[in-house]
Amino acid sequence: MIQTHDAPLLDVRDIGIAFGGLRAVDHFSLRLDLGQLHGLIGPNGAGKTTCFNLLTGVYAPDTGEIRLRGRPIHHSRPHQIAGAGIARTFQNIRLFPHLSVIENLLVACHLRSRQTIAGAIFESRKHLEDERMMEHKCLALLDRFELADQSDEPAASLCYGDQRRLEIARALAIDPKVLLLDEPAAGMNPQEKVQLKSLIRGLLEGFNIAILLIEHDMSVVMDLCEQITVLDHGCTIATGAPAEIQADPKVIEAYLGASVETGEPEEEGTADERG
Amino acid sequence: MIRESAGHTHRLPPALAPLAALALAIVLGLISRRLFGDYVERIGIDICIAIILAVSLNIVNGFTGQFSIGHAAFYAIGGYVAGMISYYASIQLWDSPTSWGSILSPTSINVVYQSLIFVIALLCGGIVAALAGWLVGLPSLRLRGDYLAIVTLGFGEIVRVLLQQTNEQIFTRSDLHAASRDELFPPPVGGALGFINIPKMTSLFWAVLLACACVLFAWRLKKSTFGRAMIAIRENEIAAEAMGVNITRLKVWAFVFAAFFAGIAGGLYAHEAGTQIGPGDAGFTRSFDVVIMVVLGGLGSITGSILAATILTIANEWLREPTHVWHIGLALLALRLMVQPKQRFRAIVWSLSAIAAIEGARSIAIRLQIDLGEYRMVIFALMLIVMMILRPQGLFGTHEFSDLLPRRRRPGRGFEVST
Ligand SMILES: Nc1ncnc2c1ncn2[C@@H]1O[C@H](COP(=O)(O)OP(=O)(O)OP(=O)(O)O)[C@@H](O)[C@H]1O
Ligand SMILES: [Mg+2]
Repeated sequence: MIQTHDAPLLDVRDIGIAFGGLRAVDHFSLRLDLGQLHGLIGPNGAGKTTCFNLLTGVYAPDTGEIRLRGRPIHHSRPHQIAGAGIARTFQNIRLFPHLSVIENLLVACHLRSRQTIAGAIFESRKHLEDERMMEHKCLALLDRFELADQSDEPAASLCYGDQRRLEIARALAIDPKVLLLDEPAAGMNPQEKVQLKSLIRGLLEGFNIAILLIEHDMSVVMDLCEQITVLDHGCTIATGAPAEIQADPKVIEAYLGASVETGEPEEEGTADERG
Repeated sequence: MIRESAGHTHRLPPALAPLAALALAIVLGLISRRLFGDYVERIGIDICIAIILAVSLNIVNGFTGQFSIGHAAFYAIGGYVAGMISYYASIQLWDSPTSWGSILSPTSINVVYQSLIFVIALLCGGIVAALAGWLVGLPSLRLRGDYLAIVTLGFGEIVRVLLQQTNEQIFTRSDLHAASRDELFPPPVGGALGFINIPKMTSLFWAVLLACACVLFAWRLKKSTFGRAMIAIRENEIAAEAMGVNITRLKVWAFVFAAFFAGIAGGLYAHEAGTQIGPGDAGFTRSFDVVIMVVLGGLGSITGSILAATILTIANEWLREPTHVWHIGLALLALRLMVQPKQRFRAIVWSLSAIAAIEGARSIAIRLQIDLGEYRMVIFALMLIVMMILRPQGLFGTHEFSDLLPRRRRPGRGFEVST
């Protein structure tokens, strides 16, 4: 496969998808390189989550193509895309509620584990070694997310903010190159949001990844992202640096007068079930 | 052996559990009949078969969260294949299926050969059942929930009808050699009458050994990355897929493993003394028994499946000939109070009323000369309904016996590693 060094990490060209008559996403393009933090904003129902679903293979795009390091991935299944290096979180949290916190992470390690069924059943030395390595890796990750104390609690018992952070930790456990965060600050209090911001900033350096961030809270988006794309009714209406976006009349109009700087999140009402 | 770092309980050597299982099987196999007689040995074998069925179905219904209600189909396939191999092997070798002995109490010089044939027959039964599981699993696991249930149910009925259409059995070596192609295909396994004279090879030794193998398999699977991935599918399929779990492949595997062990259970049943395998064993009633065991025990809990399989098998026998149970009930209550001191009062009230209800039902049945055994499906269904109301997660929920033991400590924050 073509895999040149100058190929961008993630190259999305003109992807689109229609549900019945509704073009949920139309001609969406994006380039993302390592170390970049790109924001994706837009009013409710603009198609942001659908973009994530296209990028992660939940839906196959009708048009356009998605390349990861030059390799086309838009025909791959979600688990293959995860293997290729795109990890995500969900708008409405999707943890494995009965599994413990560390097991949630261990599931994500399954992808890179070299265990075999026979090894597991006979508990071969290699299997036990692999299991222990995975556990160490996950504990280290939990430590970074300040969740190590709760590693044996069921994920469902964590408080809301912790669950959101656990979802990010779980996504990182698949060793991704691109991390997609769908409204990570939703439902957090201002103090938690501040912590989240520094956490996300730390991820860029600590894990050598690129991040695509959907967020309604403008204070979070404007502070974090160096580039922002604005969607409305599936169409990209603006792309640029935060200052340009804030000044863009089309963006202001799309938000129907809602002040962009303070734009409080409207209720996330019709959250799509795959969100 | 690999020792866990400080703070972890060290692991037992991996070979310990299989050896313990072997020892248990030998001891039980040697003493049970002498101490308790044939009847108890037979119930013991039935319990082992039920445990294999319930634990294996739990891999599909409990781990991956699919809903298969056709487990008996694989059970019957395994039983018929294993029975066919050992029956016709002994017709061919000794011209008689009857001279078989047990490996622990040899009554014939051929015992080593016979045991070998028996084990091969069981394995082949398991493998053919697993193949059937794979064939059914591949297309149907793309279906969800109710649709999968209907497909598995239909598969069971298909197997039942196909078994009814099989040829008449062949009873002597000379007939076997003279048989025409039409008589050999479909296989000569007795049609609607059932398959008789299968050598009675199943002893408590084999039953316990294979039940332990099945439990150990499920246990280690559950603790491995594959088991966790399967459970992740149950917990949240979309998230599991997004985290890189190949859900189709794991679902098919779960189906294949479950079918394999169901096939083994069928083989044990086919070779059990006092039973006779027939097309009806592939049908819905048998499947339903297993589903009840898994749901009562708790979806995903191996401990729960073992317990429910044991209780229901004993209950089944009890219904045929109800004896006093209050002393057993009180013993169980005492055990419960020792293990779990919380909610004492509730436990006492519940247990006493359960004992009273069972004893009451028993005396009424005896007075009116009702055969409770005929009502077992009704009674089990009622148990299921009561359970769904009182404790919908089943006896053990998704937990295991080991969760009752003191928590293993894990190093907390500040633990050596850094990213
Ligand atoms: N599977 C689907 N079938 C039909 N319509 C869908 C589907 N998924 C999304 N849509 C529609 O596509 C549009 C975009 O939805 P999407 O969830 O992407 O919006 P969003 O930008 O994430 O909004 P929010 O801020 O509320 O999360 C909506 O009109 C939604 O109803
Ligand atoms: Mg959304």
